[in-house]
Amino acid sequence: MEEKYLICEDSLEGIFTGIYKAYSLKEDHSRLHIQIGEEENLRLFAEYIPIVPDAGTAVRVSRTIQRELGEETYISICRALASMDKQKGEAVYKTVVCGLQMQNGRQVMGNLTNPYVHKVFELNRGTNNEVLHLMGFLRFQELENGILFSKIGPKNNILTFLAPHFADRLSLLNFVIYDDIRGIFVVHPASKDWYLVTNAEIDSEMMENYSREELEYQELFTYFCHKIAIKERKNLNLQRSMLPLRFQEYMVEFRK
Amino acid sequence: MMNYKVSEEMSVMEKLGILTDAAKYDVACTSSGVDRKGSGSGMGNTVAGGICHSFSADGRCISLLKILFTNECIYDCKYCINRKSNDVVRTSFTPDEVCELTMGFYKRNYIEGLFLSSGILYNPDFTMELIYQTLYKLRREHRFQGYIHVKAIPGADPFLIQKTGLLADRMSVNLELPTAEGLSRLAPNKHRKNILAPMRQIQNGIKSSKNEIVLYKNAPRFVPAGQSTQLIVGATPENDYQLMTVAENLYEKFELKRVFYSAFVNVNEDKELPALPGGPPLLREHRLYQADWLLRFYGFKAGELLSEARPNFNILLDPKADWALRHLEMFPVEVNRADYQLLLRIPGIGVKSAQRIVMARRSSFLSFPDLKKIGVVLKRALYFITCNGKMMYNTKIEEDYITRNLLTVKEKLPFDKDGITYKQLSLFDDVGFTMQPNIIDTHKAVLGQM
Repeated sequence: MEEKYLICEDSLEGIFTGIYKAYSLKEDHSRLHIQIGEEENLRLFAEYIPIVPDAGTAVRVSRTIQRELGEETYISICRALASMDKQKGEAVYKTVVCGLQMQNGRQVMGNLTNPYVHKVFELNRGTNNEVLHLMGFLRFQELENGILFSKIGPKNNILTFLAPHFADRLSLLNFVIYDDIRGIFVVHPASKDWYLVTNAEIDSEMMENYSREELEYQELFTYFCHKIAIKERKNLNLQRSMLPLRFQEYMVEFRK
Repeated sequence: MMNYKVSEEMSVMEKLGILTDAAKYDVACTSSGVDRKGSGSGMGNTVAGGICHSFSADGRCISLLKILFTNECIYDCKYCINRKSNDVVRTSFTPDEVCELTMGFYKRNYIEGLFLSSGILYNPDFTMELIYQTLYKLRREHRFQGYIHVKAIPGADPFLIQKTGLLADRMSVNLELPTAEGLSRLAPNKHRKNILAPMRQIQNGIKSSKNEIVLYKNAPRFVPAGQSTQLIVGATPENDYQLMTVAENLYEKFELKRVFYSAFVNVNEDKELPALPGGPPLLREHRLYQADWLLRFYGFKAGELLSEARPNFNILLDPKADWALRHLEMFPVEVNRADYQLLLRIPGIGVKSAQRIVMARRSSFLSFPDLKKIGVVLKRALYFITCNGKMMYNTKIEEDYITRNLLTVKEKLPFDKDGITYKQLSLFDDVGFTMQPNIIDTHKAVLGQM
C-alpha cells in the first residue's frame, strides 16, 4: 500500500489539523506521515494531501491531547512545535499515537525508547533552553517615549513562551519584544495583557530614539561587567560556551 | 543616625567601578531558591532556578548587581583587598544610589536583583543599619520585588539582622576560613563565634518564619531563599577532608542552602599568605564543587569520599569515579532494576539521567543505545553497568584497568587552555599523563560556583 503524506502549515493549528485528518483516514499510522510546508523530494508511490489549517479542528485535537496525555505532555508538545526543526510534525503526530495507545497516556514522555517521543523530548528541551537563556540574555532599551524595546534573534519561535515571564516581571511597564528573525513582536501595555503582533512593520527609526538615561545605563552596565571579572581567572572559552556569540550580538554589554 | 562621609566628588560610574572591583571575590551570587510571582503593584519576580543574565570574561555568571555598600573597613583581614592597612581609594554608595542602579539595571533585564555586601564602616551596627535602610527603600519606596541577597554583618545587633532578613531573599555570613586557627591567623578581628552566631540566628529565623506561614498565610517571610556561606580555598593549609566536613556540618547543623568555595586569589602579597605562582587553585575548587554536589544531590557523605588517611581529592579523577573505583564490589549494576539511589552512584549517570531511566524503564527494557539517548555518558558508565545482564563490552571489573580507561576519556573542565592550565599539577609532572579525566555535571559544577 502506498504511503500518504499530509502537508501541513508550520503552525500549531496546521499540525493539529493534520493529526485530526490522519486519524480520520482510519488507516495504519505507520503509513501516514506529517510533513511541514512544501513537499521537497516527491516520492514515487506516495500520495500527498494538502491540509488546510482549521482552528476548530485544532482546538479539538489540543483538548484531546490535554485530556488523554496530560497538561505537561501538552506543553512539551507545544514547545516542540515551536522548534525550527522540520521533522517536528511527524514526531508530534507519532508521539500522540504512541500516547493514545498506552494504558496511561500521561506517561508518554517517559517512553524515551520510542524514537518519536525522544525527538519531541529533544525539541521540547531545545526550545525550553532557549527560553531560559533569553529570560536572562534579553536586553531592553528604553526609548524616548518610555517604552522598553528589545530585539532578539532566537532559533526557535519562542516569543509566546517568553512573554508571560516579562509580563509578570514588568507588569507596570510598557514593553515590546521584537523577533528579528520572524518579524513578529509581543506588545505589553502597562497593567494589561500582552498580545502577539504578526504582519506589521516596525518603525525602526523610533526604535533608535533612546531616552536620555539609556546610554548612560548601558555604559554603567558594560563597566560593571568589565569590573566584576577576576583577571587571574580569565577564561574567554568558558565565557563563550556559557554565552554563545549568537546571543552576544544582541546584548548591550558586548557592543563595541 | 550618625553621619558618614560620602565622597561627593565621585561620580556613580567611579563608585560602581571601585565597589564592584571590591566585591568581585565573593562568589556566592546565585539568584536561586525562591519562586515569587509579581504582585502587579511593583516591579519584579523571582524564579526558583535563578537566572544568569550575562557572563564575565572569567566565564562566571552575572546574575545580581554584586557590589559593596562601602569598601571602608575597620578590620584588617590579611586575604582581603579592602583591609584597613591597604592603600586603596575608599568610597561609599548612598542608599538612593544603590536603589537607582538596581531599578535601572533590573528593568533593562541586566540583572536578577541585588547582591549587597559591605566593608565595616565605623562598627557592625552602623553598617547593618545602612544596609537595612537601603533594602527598606528598595522594597518599600521603589516597590522592588526581584531578588535580594544581603550579607549579615557578624557582630551586628540581632534585631537589625532580623529586620533586614524580612526584606531579603537570601542572607549569608561568610565563614571564609574553615578552622578557628586559620581565622585567627588571617582575620585577627573576626571570631568564629561571632560568625556562627548570626548564622544560627538566621537558621532559627527561617524555621520560625516557615511555621508562622503555616498559621498566617500573609506573615512576612524571613530569608525565603535560605542562607549560604563562602569558604576560601587554599589560603590556609586545611585539607579537602576538613573543608568537606565543615561543609557537611553547615548543611546538616545549620541547614544552609549552599556552601560556596572560592579559589584563593592572592591580592595582598602578605607574608602570612601562600604564594600561588600557578594562579588560584581552580582544579581544587572544581573538585570541591563536584563533591559538594555529591553531598547535596547524590546522597553521599563526606566520610565516604575522603578520610583522615586520604584527606585530599584525586587530581585525575572526579570524586564520584574515584569513589566507584574504590567500591568495585558494588558493580556492575543492572540498570533495568537498580533503585534510584544506586543509579546515582554510577559514574556517567547524573540526577537527570537517573530520573529518566526510572521513568523510561516503566514502558520498556532499556538497552545501551537507549541509555545513550537518555543522556548517560556511556564512555564512563560502561565499566559499571549491565543492561539485561550483559555488559556493553567485554571489560574487566578491575581497578587499574578501569582507571586507565577512564583516564583516556578527556575530562571536560571549565578551565584549560586560554591562559589557565593545570599549573597546580606541576608537582606531579613526572606522572607523564596527557589526557585529562572526564566528569559528569561539569556544567552544573560550573554554574555551581556562581
